[in-house]
Amino acid sequence: MTDQSTQQPDAEPSPLVQVVGVHKYFTRGNERLDVLNGLLLDVPSGEFLALMGPSGSGKTTLLNIIAGLDKPSEGEAWVGGECISHYSESRLAAWRTRNIGFIFQFYHLMPVLTAYRNVELPLLLLPLSAAQRKQQVLAALDAVGLSDRAKHRPGQLSGGQQQRVGIARALVTDPALIVADEPTGDLDAHSAEDILDLLGELRTSMGKTIVMVTHDPHAAERADRTLHLEKGKLVTRDSTLATV
Amino acid sequence: MKSLTLVFQNIFRNKLRTTLTSLGTMMLVLVVTLVWSVLAFLDTVTSEKTANVKGIVSERWQLSSQMPFAYATSLHEGAARNPGDVRPDDAMSWSFFVGTLDPKSRASSQKLFAFALEPEKLLTMMDELDSLPSARRAEFEPVVKKLTENRQGIIVGQSRLQKTNKRVGERIKLFGLSHQEINLEFEIIGTFPPGQYDESCAIDIAYLNTALDAYPLTHNGEKHPQANKSLNFVWIKVPDQDAFSRVTDQILNSPTYSNPAVKVETAASGIASYLEAYRDLFWGMRYLLTPAILLTLSLVIANAISVSVRERHTEFAIMKVLGFRPGHILALVLLEAVLVGAFSGLVSAAASYYVVNNVYEGLKFPISFFGTFLIPEAAFWWGVAVGGGTALIGSIVPAWSACSIRVSEAFSRVT
Repeated sequence: MTDQSTQQPDAEPSPLVQVVGVHKYFTRGNERLDVLNGLLLDVPSGEFLALMGPSGSGKTTLLNIIAGLDKPSEGEAWVGGECISHYSESRLAAWRTRNIGFIFQFYHLMPVLTAYRNVELPLLLLPLSAAQRKQQVLAALDAVGLSDRAKHRPGQLSGGQQQRVGIARALVTDPALIVADEPTGDLDAHSAEDILDLLGELRTSMGKTIVMVTHDPHAAERADRTLHLEKGKLVTRDSTLATV
Repeated sequence: MKSLTLVFQNIFRNKLRTTLTSLGTMMLVLVVTLVWSVLAFLDTVTSEKTANVKGIVSERWQLSSQMPFAYATSLHEGAARNPGDVRPDDAMSWSFFVGTLDPKSRASSQKLFAFALEPEKLLTMMDELDSLPSARRAEFEPVVKKLTENRQGIIVGQSRLQKTNKRVGERIKLFGLSHQEINLEFEIIGTFPPGQYDESCAIDIAYLNTALDAYPLTHNGEKHPQANKSLNFVWIKVPDQDAFSRVTDQILNSPTYSNPAVKVETAASGIASYLEAYRDLFWGMRYLLTPAILLTLSLVIANAISVSVRERHTEFAIMKVLGFRPGHILALVLLEAVLVGAFSGLVSAAASYYVVNNVYEGLKFPISFFGTFLIPEAAFWWGVAVGGGTALIGSIVPAWSACSIRVSEAFSRVT
């Protein structure tokens, strides 16, 4: 996965995610809009990190950069020892398939596909046999407790169940990092609790590193650490202070 | 191919839209198939052959060829005079006789257009009839036999028979329009197989000649005005182009055919000359109508695929987030369109082949002496190619827009 040009120079055991001096700005005509301002962030392997902040603070932009969906204007993002900031679009696409699991606020399942087929979708991009794909899909559905809903389409599932399918899809390629964008934002309180329990379980029993963007302080409480962003800068690095 | 399930599921995601797109494609492919069937047939009959070449001998300087019947016998021999001269494998005399069933009416429904020829040549010299499928040939042979035995017999095309409201076995009298005061009585002894001769008739040329010969008996010894120009064509068949050239030389160098002079053309060339009057119509069909239909078809599909792609913007963005590359998404959208187009085209072509050929027994589209056109088997691949090809062209822009979606759009709801 790594080559010399992208190999992290640090000999010490490195965090899974490192954001080094990242600036992100957009230009609209002559106007420059700064979204992230020289951000520094380390996320150790196996951590459950919550990112909070008001709308427009840059948390989704940061998530996009960590997940290889966007590139910083300046600075670098390292994930799993690879500097992904200079990857081409197609290399990033291939990298995302193997290394990142995505969980979305609105689940974003394919409405025409069954739960099984939705979970299988990322595996279609990998060189796996049908039997291998089946084994991995069933394991992922089992991990989220939806083995009995494999043949259901998203429209036949509750919001909580759809989000579980989304989590199974994020897990199915066995990525080291899972990024979640408001995973409980569209769920009732009971379903939200279930999903947060499940995310906690992914961290504890599977050792997954999770970076979650949320507006919900209650959801953030479940994380190991909560960081607040304001105007493109991290303003708090400690979860206890963040919740004061 | 692992993504084929996704393609099929998307095709059936909006059944109404897919069905309407498919029906639109079928209708337009049907029109293209009909137009191309006519053009393909005319292309075939006007394209030169290399073997079993048919030639037409006609009057050189007059478009409505009128030669003396005395030319017939020697022309059947290819004007061979010397040992070593080439003789045609087969030959046929041909005159036209147009008559009306009602002497007071020249209405089209009363008119019959007949080829006067040697009856036995129907199965050896006439295009289409000389290559009938065995079942059809077995049905038609007894009809030809009847004409050889009954000089007053007439074979009528099925469509013409229906229009004149007559039946096989009925006796009719035709009042000459092409030959004034030559009124001939006939018995309808059968019909042509469905196809090229649906609007035509065939009679024994000897019967027409006898009537012309008898004309002076009732007209104070005066010959009929067309007595010396009753032969319109002589058809000859030779094995190859070389033999055709030699027979042509023999005829053109013969002093027998000096007044009027004659010319020799291949059948293809002769038919092409006859179709010259329809040149603008064919040009319009080939270069205006067909492209217009293909363009319309592309736009219909482009519209349907565009709507479908717009509805799925977020899905495509999610697919990109999951690792699908632009090429994957482009291929998915194009494949959806091409599958719908090609399948609809195939169904349309198959349906038109069956319905036009078996139910309606040919497409009725009278052009010159061709009245009916059959849909060729090539229509199957035309349908697939037209449906699939136009779908491919029509879906390029929507597919490009689908694969150009930015992946960050997937997260754009939360900032």
